[in-house]
Amino acid sequence: MLEIKNLHAIVEGEDIEILKGVNLTVKKGEIHAIMGPNGSGKSTLSKIVAGHPGYEVTQGDIIYDGESILEMDPDERAHAGIFLAFQYPVEVPGVTNMTLLRESYNTIAKSRGREEMDPLEFEDYLKTKLDLVEMNPEFLHRSVNTAFSGGEKKRNEIFQMAVLQPKLSFLDETDSGLDIDALRIVSGGINQIHGEEDAVVMVTHYQRLLEYIVPDVVHVMIDGVIVKTGGKELALELEEKGYDWLENA
Amino acid sequence: MHFKDLEFTSQPALDWVAPYAAKAAHALESLSFPTKKDEDWRFTPLKTLTKHAFQSVNSEAKSVTEEHVQKYRLPESKESTLVLVNGVIREDLSSFSLSTEAITVKRLQDMTPAELDEAGFQTLVPVERDYFTVLHTATLTSGYYLHVHKGAKVEAPIHVLNIQTGSATPYVSSFRLLIHVEQEAEATLIEEHVSLDDSVYLTIPVMETFVQKKGRLNHLRIQRENKSCFHISRPITSLEGTAEYHSYTIALGAHLFRNEPQIIQTGEEVDFTLDGLILIDGDQISDTHSVMDHRFSHGNSHQLHKVVVHGNAHSVFNGKIFVRQDAQIIDSFQENRNLLLSRDGIVYTKPQLEIFADDVQCSHGATIGDLDPDEVFYLQSRGMTEQKAKEVLTYAFALETIENIEVESVHTFLVDEVKAYTSRNVASRF
Repeated sequence: MLEIKNLHAIVEGEDIEILKGVNLTVKKGEIHAIMGPNGSGKSTLSKIVAGHPGYEVTQGDIIYDGESILEMDPDERAHAGIFLAFQYPVEVPGVTNMTLLRESYNTIAKSRGREEMDPLEFEDYLKTKLDLVEMNPEFLHRSVNTAFSGGEKKRNEIFQMAVLQPKLSFLDETDSGLDIDALRIVSGGINQIHGEEDAVVMVTHYQRLLEYIVPDVVHVMIDGVIVKTGGKELALELEEKGYDWLENA
Repeated sequence: MHFKDLEFTSQPALDWVAPYAAKAAHALESLSFPTKKDEDWRFTPLKTLTKHAFQSVNSEAKSVTEEHVQKYRLPESKESTLVLVNGVIREDLSSFSLSTEAITVKRLQDMTPAELDEAGFQTLVPVERDYFTVLHTATLTSGYYLHVHKGAKVEAPIHVLNIQTGSATPYVSSFRLLIHVEQEAEATLIEEHVSLDDSVYLTIPVMETFVQKKGRLNHLRIQRENKSCFHISRPITSLEGTAEYHSYTIALGAHLFRNEPQIIQTGEEVDFTLDGLILIDGDQISDTHSVMDHRFSHGNSHQLHKVVVHGNAHSVFNGKIFVRQDAQIIDSFQENRNLLLSRDGIVYTKPQLEIFADDVQCSHGATIGDLDPDEVFYLQSRGMTEQKAKEVLTYAFALETIENIEVESVHTFLVDEVKAYTSRNVASRF
């Protein structure tokens, strides 16, 4: 589904290389975790996959469903089924969750050859998804992320994921800032959304999240490259030993 | 009468206004046409105004009929609409049948000088206030006196619709509103300015508003005129203790829009709002010079002034807040947010707080910026095109100032105006 080959990237207009040759292969149905210390490039990698214009790919390629997506705009990638749950979801005052989701759902549905939904149908559909993340229906009528608590924003990202049904989701530190109850709800939601046909890549600092969502593959990223790949036991090893032993490896 | 620098021919003043016009002529001797050397006009060029030769009369006004007015009528104001054409009252087009026990409406020209004096005419805006007030007085033909009686709650919004229509000759049009909201009375005023064509004119509306104890006035000011005209307005409001006044100005039109709202607190425990939304593009110039003047203790004031600039448009904001020495326990908020969406647009902003009391909470802020690229990316990652994302964000920025507007039909057409503005301009950036 996703193949990242020798990916090098810089911050647009600057000469600082953040990704220095990332290789990553994700198959349908899998859950991956990318772990690593602050500043290792994990979040940058997720943003680049989603098409953030603030970064420039200088070498390598991202192949999604057999085709390079480097030339695609972020909206085209979303239409193709790529989703990014933001580390810091953006507040959009004046636009309700409902409006945003209907606009998103319908444009994505259209480009993927699915039926668009009318407002009433859509509201019913949303209600079934709200339960997944234990969100109150009143959320639908509030402005996107405006005056939401940190936990509510993260839950809202997963709610959007549930509604849009992406094929490939990058979850950028979805666990940060969540208390234990919220973490349980959010990870429960992700587990229900994820199935045989889609893949999830979680970017995280902590082993904590992986107690709730069990990954098939764990990667460690340090200084812009993936230095080690293993099974779920690798996360436990990291928890115990930290990253130092890998940095010097 | 001759106006230095401004080419202007006046008709002889009408009888009722003649004594004031004479005073205006006298005041003019000590006033000169504003230039960039005047602090109040430093950033607002008037050269496009001086290139026209204005006349104070325009005979086209008579050709306006119900057919023209129809589309501006508000369902909420079926029995409370007052129509003026080029600043001249048109009773044949007005439809006003609210109870006279609740509200009295009179034409200024039907009032005696003694009645005008008693009603406070020219007390908040004296003739000699400034150059354009003088010009206003010299060209004044009519206006309305609206008096909401003690304890009356006027449900229907009062719609004062000023329609402009012109000929080949640029003209000056002035009108005046004198408004009294008595004790414990409540009313909503929608003051709207529209043009039927692209004629060049200068309109100088002046509003003197008095709200008495526990009275409350909601004042919507909508300026959606053509982009050739000049609109220079002075809405001045005096609030007695415990009075409330909430004003929302939405301005989309005019080549030059200069608004000088002023709210004066003349008693304790007042509450007022002075919000604004300006959407400009092309070569439009919009300038708001506002004053919020706390002269007594216990006052809340709120000012959110939002501006969106496209094209070569040019915006100026100068927001003064005064808290006088004896005015304690004042809570005042001012924010000016500017969305500058083109390389050639210009924004000047100057918050100006003058606080002489010590137990005061005043916050102010001014920002000028483009849309946040992270916000655009967020919406794009949810499937919106870049253009749609920018439209949505611009619309959302503008919406905050109109979402408090409770008159449904006004809210609806303003939402449409905002959408039309954003889609027109965002599209043109690509």
